[in-house]
Amino acid sequence: MADSLICIEHVSKAYRRDSLQIPVLADIDLTIDTGEFIALMGPSGSGKTTLLNLLAGIDTPTKGRITIDRRVISSMRETELARWRADHIGFIFQLYNLIPVLTAFENVELPLLLTRLSRQERQAHVRTALAIVGLSDRADHYPRQLSGGQEQRVAIARAIVADPVILVADEPTGDLDARSAGEILDLLNRLNTEHHKTIVMVTHDPRAAARAHRMLHLDKGVLSVEEPAAALDRSRDGR
Amino acid sequence: MKYFRFIWKNVFRKKSRAFLTMASIVLVLVLIVVLSSLLEALDYDTGRTKGAANVVVQHATGLGNFMPLAYRQKIEQVPGVVAVAPQIWFGGIYVDERPQNFFGQLSTDPQVWAIVHDDYSIPDDQLIDRFHWTIGQRIQVRGTYIPGTIDLVLRGVYTGPDESNIFFHNKYLENSFLGRLERTGIFYLRTEAPEKVPGVCDAINKMFENSDAPVKAMPEKQFMLQFTEMMGDVKLLFRSIALTVLFTVVLIVANTMAMSARERVTQIAVIRALGFRRSQVLMLVLSEAIVLALLGGVAGALGSFPFMWGLIGIIKHTPVAMFAYNLKISLATLLTAFTAAVGIGVLAGFVPAIRSSRISIVDGLRRVA
Repeated sequence: MADSLICIEHVSKAYRRDSLQIPVLADIDLTIDTGEFIALMGPSGSGKTTLLNLLAGIDTPTKGRITIDRRVISSMRETELARWRADHIGFIFQLYNLIPVLTAFENVELPLLLTRLSRQERQAHVRTALAIVGLSDRADHYPRQLSGGQEQRVAIARAIVADPVILVADEPTGDLDARSAGEILDLLNRLNTEHHKTIVMVTHDPRAAARAHRMLHLDKGVLSVEEPAAALDRSRDGR
Repeated sequence: MKYFRFIWKNVFRKKSRAFLTMASIVLVLVLIVVLSSLLEALDYDTGRTKGAANVVVQHATGLGNFMPLAYRQKIEQVPGVVAVAPQIWFGGIYVDERPQNFFGQLSTDPQVWAIVHDDYSIPDDQLIDRFHWTIGQRIQVRGTYIPGTIDLVLRGVYTGPDESNIFFHNKYLENSFLGRLERTGIFYLRTEAPEKVPGVCDAINKMFENSDAPVKAMPEKQFMLQFTEMMGDVKLLFRSIALTVLFTVVLIVANTMAMSARERVTQIAVIRALGFRRSQVLMLVLSEAIVLALLGGVAGALGSFPFMWGLIGIIKHTPVAMFAYNLKISLATLLTAFTAAVGIGVLAGFVPAIRSSRISIVDGLRRVA
């Protein structure tokens, strides 16, 4: 546990809706090592996105402790957490969530505005990130001028441009056709193997989950099953 | 500065809405500049540097009463007085009673007129342009409170701070009841220097305080203010209109900013997830409102110049032509307009900015963009 990048200990999360307390996660314990590629599966409402949000530092647990890279993020104040996110986390969303008025280049540059990099340094980083996702030639395109797969690749470039330790992806292929989804998963694999990014991915797609090193299963807020992705891959192929 | 492109692009995210909102700010700014300039013109300062040495003497009870012409010789003896011109407001009708044919008619003494009005010069254009008069033309003016018609001949034209009057010789009124009674409406006099004005006023007031016709001597500016004070309600009306319109445009811009912020809940949640702090989101949204308002402010300030030139051209041909000569856009008015623009931006953007900064990232991301 000492070498783990992400350490989640006895974490519970409940939301309040009026007078009702709605439990979402119950006593979750989980460790993720540096360089791991984790797939998080489970039915809708099982708490997958909530768990992802907690370890990405955009939500706080009701109980328990989350330690990432030796820092306890569950007790950080909001401003501190915002700075931490900017340094440590890259987000990839199902619906890409690019800013429509900004070009691909400007969208990728957005996280770098929070850094002290000069304009030239920012431009160099953005060019590198766009080159990694294979979209150097689309830098001046607006999101509306890109296909879904290209938009997601721009979103991935935005996620990696500040060189974060962890990438969190919430159903990154959920809105894409099979071919584009395959390309995105290839890209995530490459980021994991070549750029050593630790990836936590929420997915409903067993094919996507099969790309991960480990598959976690959440059901009604309980991390009930943990199985190697390869096993799922074999079952999918009927081998 | 590195955020400026992001702010700029968000301002014009919905171009038609941004331009319509800016247009409303432009209209308000033009209105504010014009009304402020009118208010400045109403706070009548003749703009005559030499006018500071002038004194006007009227009957103590008001302009409706007249003073003996014989006062002139006594006033001329007051130390510090250079020249005294008795003047009567004729208030006659030229052609007909339509407002566009109105202009001031003052009888005066041509021997001293040039001394008293030494910042006026000959020739000019204003009334000539208005009525297409030519030198030597006969001008008939029908009296109102002074019965009879005076038949004038245009001998010369002057330029000066106020070109909306004609001056004619006091002799024309010698046969009127005022002439027969040897009375005059006011004495316009020039002192040696502005510092002499208070002493001259005191001396003249004291000189006639126990007479049948006591007088009130006052600096020229104070005399002019009497007329604009009569327009006190008009000024209040102007100010009320300006404030009402300003408040309305604050609501319009606030609504635009609120709509813009509401439409971008997910976008704001995304940038917060990327690491933008609440304070940074607040500044970004507030800056958008200020940029929008400032653009409207600059366009409004620039647009108010041609509007004002057109207005001056129109006013010069109306009974209140005297104000046209004081009507100008001052630096103070422009600063007021820019301050109003920034104020509109801050007031209109503040609530949407606060709301945007308080958006929960989780709730914002849950919304379908």
